[in-house]
Amino acid sequence: MKLVKIAIVNFGQFSDMTIDLPSSDINVFFGSNEAGKSTIVAFIKQIMFGFHLAKHKSDFFEDYQPLARVSPMGGSLFFENAQGDIYELERLFASGKGSKAGTLTVKLNDQAVPESTFFDQIKNIDGSFFADSFIFNQDMLAKVSSIQQTDLLERIYYLGAADSDKLIDLRDFFAKKASELFKKGGSKPPLNQLIKRLQSQKSKVDDAESEFTTYQELNSDFKNLQQQQKEYENELLQLQKKQNKLQHLQNLIPSYQELTSLEKQLKPVEFDEEKYQEAQTLSLKLQSLEDHQRNLQERLAQLNQNQENMADASKLLQKKPALLQWQAEDHNCSQKNQQLANERQQLLALDPELSQIAKLDQTAVAQLQEEYQKLLSLNTDVVVQEDKQGQSLLVLGVVLVLIGIVLILSISKIGGCLLVMSGIVFFLLGIKNQQKQTQIQKRAQKRKLLAEKQRTAFTAKYGLKPDRLDITRLINDWRQFQTLEHQNKVNLQKEQQLADQLKQLAIEISAVLHQRVQPDFTIVVRAMDELDNKYSQSRYQQEAATNLKNNLAENSTALKKANLSLQTAMAEFQVHSMAEYANLQAQKQKQTELQTQISILQKNLAKDLPQLKSFLLESQTVTDQNNQLLYEIKKCQEKLQTTQSAIAEIKVKMANLANSTAVFAAKQELADLQTDFRNLSAKYLANVLACEWVGRALDLASNERFPKMLVVAKDYLRLLTNNRYNNIEVGKKLTVSRYDGKKIKVQYLSRGTSEQLYFALKLAFVQQIGDQINLPILIDDSFVNFDDQRTELIKDLLKQIAMSNQILIFTAQDKIVGKLQHPILLTKGTQNV
Amino acid sequence: MKFIHFADAHLDSPFLGLSFLPSNSFTKIHRAPNDSLTKIVDLAVKEQVDLVLIAGDTFDSPRPNPSSQLFFSHEIERLIEARIQVVMIFGNHDHMEKKDLLVSDSPYFKLLGDREQIETITRRTKGGFDYDVTGFSYLNNHITNDLVNDFPVKSSNYTFGMMHAQEKSGSGGQNVYAPFNLSELKELNYNYMALGHIHLRQVLSQAPLIVYSGNIQGRHINEMGAKGCYLGEINEQTFQTQIRFIQTGPITWQQAAIKITEPISQTDLQSKILLNLTPKETTYYSLKITGAEFLNDQERELVEDSEFWQMISHKLDFDSQLVDVRFAVSSRLKIAENDQAYFKKAQEEVFTEDQILRLCKDWAQKDSFATELAQNSQFLNEVRQLAEVELNSKLKGN
Repeated sequence: MKLVKIAIVNFGQFSDMTIDLPSSDINVFFGSNEAGKSTIVAFIKQIMFGFHLAKHKSDFFEDYQPLARVSPMGGSLFFENAQGDIYELERLFASGKGSKAGTLTVKLNDQAVPESTFFDQIKNIDGSFFADSFIFNQDMLAKVSSIQQTDLLERIYYLGAADSDKLIDLRDFFAKKASELFKKGGSKPPLNQLIKRLQSQKSKVDDAESEFTTYQELNSDFKNLQQQQKEYENELLQLQKKQNKLQHLQNLIPSYQELTSLEKQLKPVEFDEEKYQEAQTLSLKLQSLEDHQRNLQERLAQLNQNQENMADASKLLQKKPALLQWQAEDHNCSQKNQQLANERQQLLALDPELSQIAKLDQTAVAQLQEEYQKLLSLNTDVVVQEDKQGQSLLVLGVVLVLIGIVLILSISKIGGCLLVMSGIVFFLLGIKNQQKQTQIQKRAQKRKLLAEKQRTAFTAKYGLKPDRLDITRLINDWRQFQTLEHQNKVNLQKEQQLADQLKQLAIEISAVLHQRVQPDFTIVVRAMDELDNKYSQSRYQQEAATNLKNNLAENSTALKKANLSLQTAMAEFQVHSMAEYANLQAQKQKQTELQTQISILQKNLAKDLPQLKSFLLESQTVTDQNNQLLYEIKKCQEKLQTTQSAIAEIKVKMANLANSTAVFAAKQELADLQTDFRNLSAKYLANVLACEWVGRALDLASNERFPKMLVVAKDYLRLLTNNRYNNIEVGKKLTVSRYDGKKIKVQYLSRGTSEQLYFALKLAFVQQIGDQINLPILIDDSFVNFDDQRTELIKDLLKQIAMSNQILIFTAQDKIVGKLQHPILLTKGTQNV
Repeated sequence: MKFIHFADAHLDSPFLGLSFLPSNSFTKIHRAPNDSLTKIVDLAVKEQVDLVLIAGDTFDSPRPNPSSQLFFSHEIERLIEARIQVVMIFGNHDHMEKKDLLVSDSPYFKLLGDREQIETITRRTKGGFDYDVTGFSYLNNHITNDLVNDFPVKSSNYTFGMMHAQEKSGSGGQNVYAPFNLSELKELNYNYMALGHIHLRQVLSQAPLIVYSGNIQGRHINEMGAKGCYLGEINEQTFQTQIRFIQTGPITWQQAAIKITEPISQTDLQSKILLNLTPKETTYYSLKITGAEFLNDQERELVEDSEFWQMISHKLDFDSQLVDVRFAVSSRLKIAENDQAYFKKAQEEVFTEDQILRLCKDWAQKDSFATELAQNSQFLNEVRQLAEVELNSKLKGN
């Protein structure tokens, strides 16, 4: 379809203008800026697809508002198809009438036909399809970086399957649904989130599975601890055994000590019980013999003693006549004593004073006589004279003084004084006289007192009053009394001599009779009679003694013999007496008992004996050992307890782990997540697959135009970039490959390269759909950045493309004009306003 | 001689897509693998078997939780008490070491091939029958080498082989579970090759016997049907071996399907579903609705909702549950006749595995689970079906 004529009624700055297009391949519209190049492009698009009012935003043309105030707005386009038919498209808009898009009239060879007659020829594309595909301008170029596969594809598929727009929508729906579920770099879509959770849950499972290791470790610890417990239990058992043994030994120590003590006491004793019994019998016999001997000897001694007494008795019996004589004499003496006593009594009765001196001896009596004579010679009278003269003198002195004083006071002082002085003299004389008289009286008194004293002393000494004493008679009586006294004394001596003799005799008799005999004549005489009797009896006893002596001799012989036997018996065991022998026996007995005790102890201690011996040898005391053991036992018990509690603790932990559902829970949660993930993934993938399926079907239905287009576009790009870029990948983002293989995203390309890419793609596309939709390509001032070399390349390319599509170039660049022919000049002057 | 072969107990593994279940049902499914193992041990004791072979993945993780470990050791001890020989290997899930097990040492328990060393043991049954067992355990989660070549030539004894392994397949990335060629295994000519790893029970070869016992309890809808162990009996003279599958898994997974051909009311849909769910034992259903394009978005959302499933489940016997709904299309795309060919061709191109992998590359790279899913053909099928449903539904104007 070639555009052959443009007829503008009113549009932009143009009114009533007609442009014939001379070329069916390339037409160049040349004009400076603001000359209306873009307005022509907008006119072509809007006549075909409707006016574009300001309200409707579009990627381009928005700056070119139709001039609503000029009515009618619009114009016509004339297309010629391959068959030479002419289609006229007239679109007019009058304010207030019809659609705002304007009213389209289509004529075929000047005959009005339905719109579809034309649009069927171009596959009913819409305005944006046309703009995107056939219009090249700065605005569209700027969009090159956002070109997506979908944009290109949609246009291509449009040419394939029936309902391709619906299928494209379906494909997009699946794509959208898929991308709602999962995005490669996303974090919000549910699958992305599930992946995160899956990964976190996996590590949770991993953590939970550490229970396995923990359990293995615990199990190993448990076994070790059990082993340890067993060891400690053994150790404890050993210690307790040891301690029990020690305790046992400790209990045995007293017995053992007793044993050792007993063993020390043990010594050999030579002793024969039988022989001892014999000796004892012998000893008893000997003793009996000795007793008999003693008895005999005693009896004999007694008999002998009696014999001795009898000799004394015989002597005493001869004194019996003398005794009787002494008895008579004694009687006489007693009578004479009585007589003398009487005479003395008579004498004393006659002279009472005699009693006072009867006891005095010859000398004393002579002295009495002398003292008496002296006493008689002593005078006792004394004359006492009173001193009357002295007293008179005193009185006179006093009177004279007194008169003197009166005189002094009354008459004459001199006379008075003289009188006083003479009075004093008389007074002094009186005093001296009185003193001399007193001394004489004292001397006489003294002599009288001495005589009286001597008389009193005499009376006190002798009890006699000298005044009335007849000394001569008294001396005579005294002499008579002394004679009587002497006689009595002699008699008494005789009596004493008799008593002494009797006493001696009584003592002798007492000795013989072996009984106390009082020295009384009657008693002694009676004792003498008894003695006489006894003496007669002793004669018979002498005979008995002789017999006894004989017995004694026999017994003595037997005794000697027995003693010898005993000595022999004792000598055998080196004892010296039966007491020693008995001692020996006692020792023997004791040793036997000791032996018995030792045996019992040894039997009791038997198996412990060696330990006990060594035990006591050890330096450590038993208590220390015991304490040490108890300490060790305690330690061991503590260790055991610690181990047991550790075991219990581990058991609890193990039980907890054994009952733990943590691993399963974690794995189940993971499995649940996996299920969710699986189900959602299935949906996601089903959508991806459905999308791909539809897309592929569209590809196939559109004769695989897209792949083909890409091949062409690559060629164009290579051509335009002089082989600097040789590949295009159209994914979600457009990328190109450089000659060195490096892939570069469009936004990082230089502006020139971007334009070349844009050209390559769009030209390839247009060419690709050329068999279905063949419309002119409108290139609006697009080469602003093309340098000379590139422009040259573009020109060649355009010439090539122009063979299939008509090209309209709108430019302000002379160089392009120079390279192409027949420019249609657009100037401001051409405006029809 | 009698023996039991089981594998892939995956004790204490979680259950995908069952979190909505009421807690008693959830507890039941949670306990199901344990209950299944207990039944196997009961069976071993009851049958007085001589040997129990455990071909890997007993635990779901190399660091199993203590309760699972204790449970397992308790069950093993029951076998030991019954003087039943147990030979066990580790798989790619429980790639552990012998010392990590809590099972106490016993002559009746043997962890074979610890630390990826191929090991052969010889044992004698109570009846005096000698047999060999050769195998290896995983130490790491992948074994890329084909270890069959390193297996020793069998002796004159009856010989068991044990492997937790996967047959070699085309794409190299998946050959990480001790990959083997069936022909090699056949050549090895062990009397019984007890395999683990593939959860689908299958006999790869009858002579010699090469057997996957499958897992002991289905864990999700892709592990359908009865699960349990093989009970084998050997003729000690001829070495002829008969095996019999014994179901021990208490819960069975089943697929049910309905087809709709026109828009349908919710009540009718429910009735239709209930008519098709007729459990004979505790069964967990995955429901495939063909003709899902006749349901609009809201209807599909409703049917996919677990509350709807629970409403259905309440009416099922044996505490059975509807736990999964999948959609499929029944008709051609409603598009212009001219374009049908384009769409068909496009589908053929786009629905290939390579294309899907290319399309989901960004997604698959984000997470290891996504990567796994991308390699899971069942999942990819689901995606394909869902894509069909989505497009069909849209083209129907729903």
